[in-house]
Parts: sequence; C-alpha cells; structure tokens
Amino acid sequence: MLKIENLVTRFGSVVAIDGISMQAQESKITTVIGANGAGKSTLLRTISGLEHPSSGSITWKGQSIIGKRPEDIVRLGIAHVPEGHAVISELSVEENISMGSLFRRRKFKSDITPAIDEMYALFPRLKERRKQLAGTLSGGERQMLAISRALVSRPQLLLLDEPSLGLAPLVVEQIIDSVNILCRSTGLSVLLVEQNANTALGVADHGVLLALGKVVADRPASELKADAKLRAAYLGY
Amino acid sequence: MNTFLAALSLGTSRGAIFALVALGLVIVWRGAGIVNFAQMGQAMFSTYIASTLITNGYSYWLAFFTALLSGAVLGALLDIFIMRPLSNKKQSELLSSESMRAAVPVIASLGILGALQALAGIIWAAEERGFPAPAKEEGFTLAGTVLPFTSFDLFVVSIVTVTLILTTLFFTKTGIGLAMRATALNQEVAKLSGIRTNRTRTISWAISGAASSLAGLLITPTSNLSPNTLDLVLIVGFTAAVVGGLDSPVGAVLGGFTLGMVISFVTFYDTPEDVFLAILAVLLAVLIIRPRGILGSKDARRV
Repeated sequence: MLKIENLVTRFGSVVAIDGISMQAQESKITTVIGANGAGKSTLLRTISGLEHPSSGSITWKGQSIIGKRPEDIVRLGIAHVPEGHAVISELSVEENISMGSLFRRRKFKSDITPAIDEMYALFPRLKERRKQLAGTLSGGERQMLAISRALVSRPQLLLLDEPSLGLAPLVVEQIIDSVNILCRSTGLSVLLVEQNANTALGVADHGVLLALGKVVADRPASELKADAKLRAAYLGY
Repeated sequence: MNTFLAALSLGTSRGAIFALVALGLVIVWRGAGIVNFAQMGQAMFSTYIASTLITNGYSYWLAFFTALLSGAVLGALLDIFIMRPLSNKKQSELLSSESMRAAVPVIASLGILGALQALAGIIWAAEERGFPAPAKEEGFTLAGTVLPFTSFDLFVVSIVTVTLILTTLFFTKTGIGLAMRATALNQEVAKLSGIRTNRTRTISWAISGAASSLAGLLITPTSNLSPNTLDLVLIVGFTAAVVGGLDSPVGAVLGGFTLGMVISFVTFYDTPEDVFLAILAVLLAVLIIRPRGILGSKDARRV
C-alpha cells in the first residue's frame, strides 16, 4: 500500500534517514521502533510532506507522492499525527476536530457531522469537553484530540508519531487500544512510530527496527519481540 | 455641557475609524500571524484611486467600492509576491532563528509602507488634496439646538458596527474563518489538516486590505489626502489593537473607541498638543496592568 525505497532525508549535512526501504501493509499496524535519533519522526514527516527527501521514492497506491504538499497528501488519504500531542491550544476541542474535516466540506458535505460524531463515540471524554479550549485538556485528552483531528479526514493510512510520549501507562494503553480496535474494525492501516517498543510490538502486526537512519530489522512483530539479542543491542532491555 | 457632547461625538466617530484600523491589523494578525505596518499605506493608495475616480467625474459610490476592491487586491498581491516568498524561505540563514522568522515580515511591511508612500508621491504628487464625505457634515438638530453629531458620523459608526459583526461571525462561524485562525496559530497542524495555508493567508491579507481601505475612505474627509496622511492614524490604530488585545476583533473595537475618546477629551478639555502624551499613557498603562490587552488571549503577543 505504502512503499518506501532507498529514502534519504537530510537536514543540512546531517543525514536523518539513510536509505530506508520498507512498507506499510493494508489494514495492518506496522510499527517503526528505535532509539531516540534513529530517524523515526523524520520518516513520518517525510511521508506526510513536511520534509523533503533528497533521494529515494515513496509510493502510495502505486503513485509517487514525493514533492507533494502536506495539504495534498492528506487529501490522498494519509493523515499524520505529529509528535507531541499536536493540537491548537487556542482553539476549542470542537474546532480542532472540525479543522480536520474542513477540506472535505464541499465534496463530502453529508459525511462531516457523522465523522465528527464517530470521534466523540471513540473518545467520549472529548465530547464532554467539546467547548473547552484544547490547551486546558490533559496530555492524554490532547493526544486523543490530535488523533481525532487526523481520523476525521477519514484516512486510509494513519501516521502516528509517539502517542505514548509523556503519558501515564494506563492512558497509553487506552489510546493504543482505541487505535487497535479502529484498525481491526474499519481496515485502517496504521504506521506507528514508538520509542516504547514493548507497547508498540504488543499491538503491531509488523515491526521495523531503525538505528541511526537505517533499517536494522524488518520482521513480523512477534518475531521481533522474541528476539532477545536485537532487543538488548538496540532497545536496551 | 456642549463641550462634553462635542467631545463625546468626536470621540465616537474618530473612535469608530481607529477601531476599523485596529480591526484590519487584527485580521492579518489572526490570519497570517504578522503585524502589518504597511496597512495604512495600502489604505492611502486605494483612497488615492478613489480620489482620482471622483475628480474624473465618476460617482462617489463607484469610487468607494473600487477603492475597497483595489485595497483587497493590493493586500493579496503584497502577500503573494512579498510575504509568501519571505516566509517560505525556510532554508535561508536569515530565517533560521524563530525570532528572525517573526521579525522579518514586520520589517518587510515597514519597507512596503515606504515604497507605497514614495510610489503615491510619484504618481499623484505629494501635495495635499481634499476628499469628499458620502453624507452631510452638518450636525443633527434636536429641539432647535444643533448637535455636534453629524450624519457622516452616524454613517461611520454604523459601517464600523456592521464590519465588526461580520468579522466576528466570519472568524467564529465559517470554515474559512476557522482555517484562517488555524493557519495563524499553527501552520504545521493546519497543513496536516488539509488547509491550504498559502491561500488562507492571502485571503486574510485581502480582507484586511479592504477593511483598512474603508478606514482610509472614512478618515480622509475630515483631514486631507497626502501620501503621509494616514501615518498618525496607523499609530493610533496600532495602539488601539494592542490595547484591545491584538487577537480579538471586539477588543480592537473597544481599543479604538477608548483611544477615540481619550484623544477627543484631551483635545477639548486640555490642548491638542497633549494628545500623543495621552496615547502613550494609555498604552503604557495597559502594558503594565494587563499586558495581553483588554480582551487578548494569554500568548497572543509574541512580537
């Protein structure tokens, strides 16, 4: 579905992604794990068009998406939830969600309200707080809101960057569970970037281990989880 | 008593115009995250266009709407050809720090102001000319006494009220208004949400251009038109926007009326020479007591 080949992304002289090839399979959760600085976030940012690769290819449903703008890539069905609970604090919960569906309001007018209602059903706490400013939410609620903002565009592929960052284990579990259920019930494909490898490999079908911008391992998640040697060498536990 | 009424009336009509200027500044701030000092330059330019049409025999209202339209077009062009290339130059060394990225557009807007004033001087000569009012500048009569409030004042106040209501509704109730706010607050999240941020910013510049042209058309009948006439209006309007909170349309209008009243009462009860001292005092008082402005949200002001 999403196919990446020999992708290289640089920041000046720093090579953040150094020739990555990998895939995100349809209706599956693929996780990208690795230590801090492995290039995980840059990978997602390059896919969604926020960063420009210096070489390599990204193919989505058989079509190259390199050089396209983020606002066009989301229209193709790839929604990105960037790192750090990316919501707009000065806007209300309701506004943050409907922001994600603005570009659909002409072509899919009748689907806007149902899509927003689905988000409230997925995360009922957001519905209770829909008039509140996003800045007043807890970290977990902000992450739910960021995910809702992306999902309300009805993507086929969700790029999720470190949803567990700074959150309590119980909240992380709740969020990961919701994403898992959504993937299994609607066929949404997920590309999940995580530093918390245990959590990620627990729900994922497939795992890709990155180190210093390169792919070290690309295997079914269960195998990756069982490989004590890899874990010790790259993840430190 | 008469002095008081006169001061109140002048304060109201002047305040309405300052409110409009502040509103224009707030729109660009909310839609593009920039304090646009070129705004009254744009207004002066389109007022000159209106003035040229009127002297050539066209009707006031044709000139009026042409000026609004050219204000909008000029605003959009400035964004497309100057502001957009500046803000998209991500890799350049000049814009590598966060503070420079915020400062460069502001400095550019000052440059645009200078260029527009020079250009207007070249095209229309730098001499002052008059500009007509669309309504009578004679006071209303109540029970035999002539009030210091004219039908032109009424016209100004009602136009500003309508503009304020429309702007507030536009920002809070429409999709494009939400897109504009999102673009100004967090460009990255806005883009990832599918908002065409370049287009949205251009729309903000166009609307603000029309609003400030409106202010230009309304203030010039009481002063005169020259390339530099509107400088003072911009200073007062900017102060009004800061007093009101910079990101709040209602705050901008409150700030505008506050300053209109301060200026008018100082003029009538003290001397016109103290007006600037009074403006400065109001600005300082607000910045010390409530730095975010009357209705501003917490971190609106980062410039």
